[in-house]
Amino acid sequence: MKPVVIKRDGSQVPFDGSRIKAAISKAALVIKDNKIQPDLIVKEVSKSLSMLEEVDIHHIQDAVEASLMKNGHIELARIYIEYRHDRDIARERKSQLNHEINGLIEQSNASLLNENANKDGKVIPTQRDLLAGIIAKHYAKSYMLPREVVQAHDRGEIHYHDLDYAPFFPMFNCMLIDIKGMFTQGFKMGNAEIEEPKSISTATAVTAQIIAQVASHIYGGTTINAIDTILAPYVTKSFEKHLLTAKQWGIEDAHAYATQQTEIECYNAFQSLEYEVNTLHTANGQTPFVTFGFGLGVDWQSRLIQRAILKNRIAGLGKNRKTAIFPKLVFAIKDGINLKEDDQNYDIKQLALRCASKRMYPDILNYDKVVEVTGSFKTPMGCRSFLDRYQQTSVTDDGEIDSELIHDGRGNLGVVSINLPRIALQAKGEQKVFDELLAERLHLLKKALDTRIERLSDVKASVAPILYMEGACGVRLKADDCVADVFKHGRASISLGYIGLHETVNALFGHDQHIFDNEVKQQKSQQILQVLKQAVQDWSTQSGYAFSLYSTPSENLCDRFCRLDTKEFGVISGVTDKGYYTNSFHLDVEKSVNPYDKIDFEMVYPAISNGGFICYGEYPNMQHNLKALENVWDYSYNRVPYYGTNTPIDECYECGFTGEFDCTSKGFVCPSCGNSDPEKVAVTRRVCGYLGSPDARPFNQGKQEEVKRRVKHL
Amino acid sequence: MHYSKYYPVDVVNGEGTRCTLFVSGCVHQCKGCYNQSTWSLTAGQLFTEQLEQQIIDDLNDQRIVKQGLTLSGGDPLHPANVDQVLALLKRVKRECEGKDIWMWTGYLLAELNVKQKQVIELVDVLIDGKFEKDLADPSLAWRGSSNQVIHYL
Repeated sequence: MKPVVIKRDGSQVPFDGSRIKAAISKAALVIKDNKIQPDLIVKEVSKSLSMLEEVDIHHIQDAVEASLMKNGHIELARIYIEYRHDRDIARERKSQLNHEINGLIEQSNASLLNENANKDGKVIPTQRDLLAGIIAKHYAKSYMLPREVVQAHDRGEIHYHDLDYAPFFPMFNCMLIDIKGMFTQGFKMGNAEIEEPKSISTATAVTAQIIAQVASHIYGGTTINAIDTILAPYVTKSFEKHLLTAKQWGIEDAHAYATQQTEIECYNAFQSLEYEVNTLHTANGQTPFVTFGFGLGVDWQSRLIQRAILKNRIAGLGKNRKTAIFPKLVFAIKDGINLKEDDQNYDIKQLALRCASKRMYPDILNYDKVVEVTGSFKTPMGCRSFLDRYQQTSVTDDGEIDSELIHDGRGNLGVVSINLPRIALQAKGEQKVFDELLAERLHLLKKALDTRIERLSDVKASVAPILYMEGACGVRLKADDCVADVFKHGRASISLGYIGLHETVNALFGHDQHIFDNEVKQQKSQQILQVLKQAVQDWSTQSGYAFSLYSTPSENLCDRFCRLDTKEFGVISGVTDKGYYTNSFHLDVEKSVNPYDKIDFEMVYPAISNGGFICYGEYPNMQHNLKALENVWDYSYNRVPYYGTNTPIDECYECGFTGEFDCTSKGFVCPSCGNSDPEKVAVTRRVCGYLGSPDARPFNQGKQEEVKRRVKHL
Repeated sequence: MHYSKYYPVDVVNGEGTRCTLFVSGCVHQCKGCYNQSTWSLTAGQLFTEQLEQQIIDDLNDQRIVKQGLTLSGGDPLHPANVDQVLALLKRVKRECEGKDIWMWTGYLLAELNVKQKQVIELVDVLIDGKFEKDLADPSLAWRGSSNQVIHYL
């Protein structure tokens, strides 16, 4: 009697030997095996199952495998097993896909909904984006990426970031928008042709529009490098306009009138921009990750813009004067411009200090160090991705070759991060094994990064007109032009990321002594980074693309890698026991040191991983002691390129408390009255390079744990 | 003299970056004091010559530049502390050029005795008065409660 087959979906069908025959024949075709007699195997399998009333698919497959092995078809059995394995995975993914979509509908998948602190998974447009993300990720993993890359990603050996966007969509990561080029040459957006703005208020309004457009076409951060000097000409235009009005109306002190009106207009223009950026919702279902770099302009127009940006930030948003989360502000400090008391922009540095003490931003860019470490001065793309030096050559009308250093219009093609602690755990403390595994994994990682380059190799400019045709990327391609050249010869970067250097060193060399107190461990950690650095340099030489080493911020990854490693290796003291991995090269957040010593500890690393980095210090409330904050900024000037100060700026609207809320496993609680109602508190924390409001949108568990353990450095 | 805690790098107790010493012993025993553990004269550890030398060295550190020294407590003007505090401040003024001295005390400036006044002569900024719980205001700079006064001497 033939058994009934229970299929995976539970339905029942009669046993059909011809299906086995088909599968075996297919496998035989792969290895060109013509000796096999499928009928024989079918007969044997049928016989072995004939005693059963019902049987499931797994059972049948096991019987086929056994029969193949028994009859000496070892190679065939291997192919059959592999095919079966692939099918199993495909099937599993399909059900995973359903599961994830279901999690979105039911709002039950916390890790999906909380994955990115900048996305509110409760609202419809974001849900649409999340749904697109689920499917894009599924499709890319099933049909686009090499199998070994997907497997390594799933196992947590590497992390292919932003799978919900790329490679399904031919998008890149983050960029510096060429606002100047767009403004001076004009551009088209939607149905409108935009000419050069004629006032600062128009300039900021158009800037907001550009940001919204650009941020919808890339998945990472959008930066305006030197917004003060780029927009300064439009302050002049406003001034001239006000001056003309004054003369027309016979105002006596026309100059004073025009100056005052321009100041007011500039302040209001940047207030609008601040509100715009914080209320924008891009096609990616999120508030765009925007960064403004400023500080180096010394003309009165640039200074006015710098002051407008800082004063608006200090003032806060809305009736509660809430701290604005976006844009991220990055203030450049340069000796001779604003570093010292007799520098002409020293007053603006003081304003920046006040702003940082009250609103956490701006972070600072130390000019000389940025140049030393990255080859030229520029603002990071997004929160911390730094471009290398790049000379654009062109032929002038006179036939001469012109070479110009450019930053604006360039971007980053994306990141794939390596799980360093995993390699250390697998090596079981053996340096040699570690080195071998690392080399192997880097090879795989390069393969993963290559898929990012390939994906953009034959894409037409028309997929993202704002980027490639209207000037955001600094080029004006035709609709059918291929975009590949925009990224070649070091114009764009592509990054190898890493996290958990701290845990890696512990796993390799034990954690009896903290790395902070152990120079040998420090040297070892630098050597590991040097290996990564060497790899990206080799890749760059071979390919012509600017591969860079990036210190992954890992909002999500600190949790994911550690979780997967705990599953495989268990809770290991000093490595997986905290529930998160430490951000890139950072000093372990639990180590109690003063900010000066922390800077000294971290200062060697940015030069090695110069494709992306930031250093932080955790401070108490510094609003009454700007001098002390300035001391640390000044100390950082010759030591680290990019520095941020985290200070407690939480607010309770219930009891009026301002300071630091208690970070518990359950959430954030006002220490004064116990309030934790997200509607009545404002909690602001550094999540990655950006700020977040974890009261409104909770962090993932690993991140919450990390924030909980942060100790003050003073 | 005993001390409860010494911070070689401090930004909370006075202007700029400072070295801060919390001495032990306080007779005021204000309600709501944030430092009750420092009331006893024998709280913490003995203030040694070694620590005194470290304070001098920390103040003169070229790497982490300090604006000055802060004395808090406990009460640095507690009669049992005055002699050693005076000795310390004399050394600081002699050996640490350009460093200022901040001090918190529960006594009132106007009511100090001769010996305490000798100490105050070396102090640049004095915050005096008891902590009054009802007048407490966390938004005040350098003061716990609004009755306290900052004297730039």
